[in-house]
Amino acid sequence: MNDYLSPLWISLKTVLATTAITFVLGIAAARWISRYTGRLKPIIDGVFILPLVLPPTVVGFGLLLFMGKHGWGGKFLALFHTSIVFSWPATVVSAAVMAFPLMYMTTRGAFEQVDTNIENAARTLGASEWKVLYSVTLPLAWPGVLAGTILSFARALGEFGATLMIAGNIPGKTATIPVAIYFDIVDGNMKQANILMIIVIGIALTSLALLAYLKRPKPRDRGRISANPVPSDILAAGKKRDTSS
Amino acid sequence: MLKVEINRTLSGFKLDVAFSVNGEVLGILGPSGSGKTMTLLCIAGLLPPDSGFIQLNDRVLFDSSKKLSLQPKDRNVGFVFQNYALFPHFSAGDNIAYGIRHQPKKEVDRRVQLLIENMGLNGLRNRYPRELSAGQQQRVAVARALAPEPEILLLDEPFSALDSLTKEQLEMQILDLRQFYKGQIILVTHDLAEAYRLSSRIAIYDAGKIAQCDLKDKIISAPVNRKVARLTRFRNFMDGIITEVKDKQVWVNVPSLNAKLQVAANGHKDLAVNQTITIAVRSEHIQAVTAPGQNILQGTLNSSVENLASINCYFDLKTNTDISYRLEAAFAKADAPPLADTRSYYLYLPPEQMVIMTN
Repeated sequence: MNDYLSPLWISLKTVLATTAITFVLGIAAARWISRYTGRLKPIIDGVFILPLVLPPTVVGFGLLLFMGKHGWGGKFLALFHTSIVFSWPATVVSAAVMAFPLMYMTTRGAFEQVDTNIENAARTLGASEWKVLYSVTLPLAWPGVLAGTILSFARALGEFGATLMIAGNIPGKTATIPVAIYFDIVDGNMKQANILMIIVIGIALTSLALLAYLKRPKPRDRGRISANPVPSDILAAGKKRDTSS
Repeated sequence: MLKVEINRTLSGFKLDVAFSVNGEVLGILGPSGSGKTMTLLCIAGLLPPDSGFIQLNDRVLFDSSKKLSLQPKDRNVGFVFQNYALFPHFSAGDNIAYGIRHQPKKEVDRRVQLLIENMGLNGLRNRYPRELSAGQQQRVAVARALAPEPEILLLDEPFSALDSLTKEQLEMQILDLRQFYKGQIILVTHDLAEAYRLSSRIAIYDAGKIAQCDLKDKIISAPVNRKVARLTRFRNFMDGIITEVKDKQVWVNVPSLNAKLQVAANGHKDLAVNQTITIAVRSEHIQAVTAPGQNILQGTLNSSVENLASINCYFDLKTNTDISYRLEAAFAKADAPPLADTRSYYLYLPPEQMVIMTN
């Protein structure tokens, strides 16, 4: 068995699950907070961003307390006769908590850039809040949402401190690439560390290329409405691009 | 029929209005920040009033006493936003179809095509908003709002961002719209002429309250107070005391000008001697004459501004204080007297054209 395949596999699983979770939760939280008008807004906002500011080991320690035998989360899971500490789901939980602020902040910023009138127009045309979100807000905020997704993907891939605290280093179970590299170096296993390092760089470059591809200019316009008539030469150019798509 | 009673307090501003619309075009006219747009947002359900009652035809949209408030999507109110708020990622056709997507595809297609023809948007169906002129964007916005056959159409300063030629064409379009849209319309504007051309009744907003809501001719000819009169372009105001009431004519002593003016009562029935009133007269109703007499004031020309078809003259009248009274008169170019700074002029204020305001 190749020792580097197991961390790669664990990392990929963790990162994909984490990205999916932060994508949904980040959008939900961003949508909720940008519509929320209560007094607690700055506090809630701060709590959502907190993991970004705290040292990862502190977040990991907090999660350990929360998810451990005597924490609320641990007690809740105990009702179902299960526990996640030092198991694979713990790598997802720690990475998701660390990646969430990036998804949330970027998406929230993108949502707030969307003209409220455009969303309101959809509402007066009979759209439910859910339809407004997927047919208007998300398409208009898409570049920002995409950037947030990539950022949280990257953060999840690089997650080390919190993961180590709550998931530990169990080869074949919880040892993600960053954790595995650390212990390979500690153990003097330089060849293994080198291979993992190259793999991580490969994943990073691939995701950056993907981002560039997804963010390439589209033939149709996503920009804000211009109040001025468009000059005819631009019109002609726009038409040409339309037919090619 | 739309019945509206809205209360909404914001820091330093209070909106408190009540009016109704009966299958007509109601113009809401007022300066910026008087609560016009806020009223439309409340009707559409996009902004909750603190308290009030809104009923559209046989449906109650909002009733604070019953804690009832329909969501915007359930109100069937068409809204055209000031910046049109088209969906930039949809074509004109898809913008128009947005509100009727739940209908069969054939029906959606037919309806979109009909609106495109009615709004003069032929050939633009597949264009994206960025590829349309401001006037075309506005017509798409109106077509989009009309697609679900709303029971009322709300237009929020629809012409404010357009040049005057486009504006005129679009005004015609809105007037034509009455042929295929039988519902009622509320038009918010800060342009008196626009409100007058497009609506049958006008509500004048002033700092969150309705100063006057009347048939448009009544608004023009019988403003209830100075603020309404200012908004409807009365330029000259004089405070006076009634000295005599006789045969629908009133004699008013204007102490500051040492003048006694004859004014037509024009529908006022409750005028009494010794009542203090304000007289207003439009600049275009003042005539230059050659000799002194009743209702003729003497003044010297201060300055003049030439317009396309008329000349605006500012005359200084003698008062009992050090500050002279500035009278604004607008003469048609053909009728204007020869203008020279040093001369003194006799200015006639026709009794029938003067308006009495009691409050």
